[in-house]
Amino acid sequence: MTIADVVKVLNGKLMAGDGASPRAVGAVVANDLMSDVLLFDADDPLLLTSLASDQAIRTAHIVGAMGVVVHNAKPLSETMIKVADDLHIPLVSSPLSKYDACVKLHDAFEMEKRG
Amino acid sequence: MEQYTPTIIKGEQRQDDEILAKTPLDATSLGGDSSVIIMELLQRFKVRDVMKRTVISIARDTSMREAQRIMRENRISGVPVSEDGRLFGIVSVNDIINALDNGWIDDKCEDHMASNLVVLEAGMPLAYALRYFNNYTYGRFPVLDASRKLVGIISQRDVMKALLYELSVEIRKLERKAARASSNTPEQATSENYFRKEFAVVHNDLGSAGRAANEIKQILKERKIDRTVARRVAIAAYELEINVCIHSHGGILTFILDDNTITIKTKDRGPGIPDIEWACRDGASTANDWIRSMGFGAGMGLPNSKRVSDKFEIESEVGKYTKVTCTFNLGEGKEPGK
Repeated sequence: MTIADVVKVLNGKLMAGDGASPRAVGAVVANDLMSDVLLFDADDPLLLTSLASDQAIRTAHIVGAMGVVVHNAKPLSETMIKVADDLHIPLVSSPLSKYDACVKLHDAFEMEKRG
Repeated sequence: MEQYTPTIIKGEQRQDDEILAKTPLDATSLGGDSSVIIMELLQRFKVRDVMKRTVISIARDTSMREAQRIMRENRISGVPVSEDGRLFGIVSVNDIINALDNGWIDDKCEDHMASNLVVLEAGMPLAYALRYFNNYTYGRFPVLDASRKLVGIISQRDVMKALLYELSVEIRKLERKAARASSNTPEQATSENYFRKEFAVVHNDLGSAGRAANEIKQILKERKIDRTVARRVAIAAYELEINVCIHSHGGILTFILDDNTITIKTKDRGPGIPDIEWACRDGASTANDWIRSMGFGAGMGLPNSKRVSDKFEIESEVGKYTKVTCTFNLGEGKEPGK
């Protein structure tokens, strides 16, 4: 599942960064506490969070995340979008709740596994 | 009618603009590219250290004509309207020009002053003042104390004058230090790969916090440091940077890359940690709701930094400083979080 797929699955909108990367998302971490995210140990994770701040992007950069999805259509500040562009982190806004977004992503991963 | 002489004030404003245009201090890049010394100054100095404390102010029933006279005689381009320390508004040169144009120069100033004001607080770091000057077009800001009383006024020129003076003091100090160092045996870099960079971390500036860690991650990537090690280093740098930002009065984060080790060090200017053992426990936190709303403050900063480091040292003196050093061995694969 690429970032473009994530945007589609979550009815999202790409707000910053390159959404056309062919690299696949390896795992999803859904968390609002950045110290937890820092300890999440997986390759190429996608960060799903309600934290609409620069720190979500900076944390994503530290853990090598493929992208950040802010759920509940939380308003994103200009600085957050700029930091995402600067650090080349795709930033997606989704209207879904965290729970619904998790379910949709899980279903999409399962579908992908089954081919 | 009194003769109005706008040239003095216009000249003053132009000079301020020129000084600001020539200075390398770009408020939008604070925390990133500005030198450590400048960042330090902007953080160490508070608005109260730089503002003019003698504020020429007028009462609400003063006429615009009288305001014009006061501004001209004192060569100021704006005058606050305040009574018993309470700020009601500001009359600027523009307001005077409009008053002359529209024939209300004999009206009370409270009818034509700007009353929707942007103010600074005396305790704010100077970095905030600079940001305000960058974000708004005003040439000056009234300064209020904690009880919202007018205690001063600050202009771009005040900031520049103070910075230029302090910079010259700092440069003299550095020159003396360099002279001393060259007379002793200089500290030798141990290898060609030796790399060191310092980052200033500003108290409560969560907008910039994390920049150092992001830059360090980038440097490690460019130097092709093992991904797992790079990630552990970046995690420690990030947690420590956030810690200095939210818990201390500000400080310096140092990144050192050598042949066999990577070191992340932070040293802040207090307030120090009374119980280090407690502070290093998972979940031990003194953070407030604001910090939590930014995604931090769960008491995991120090434990996380310790967890990812090969060697973790911390020392602190209450009222003075906290110093944390995380060392990482290159070539050994400790997994993050393990």
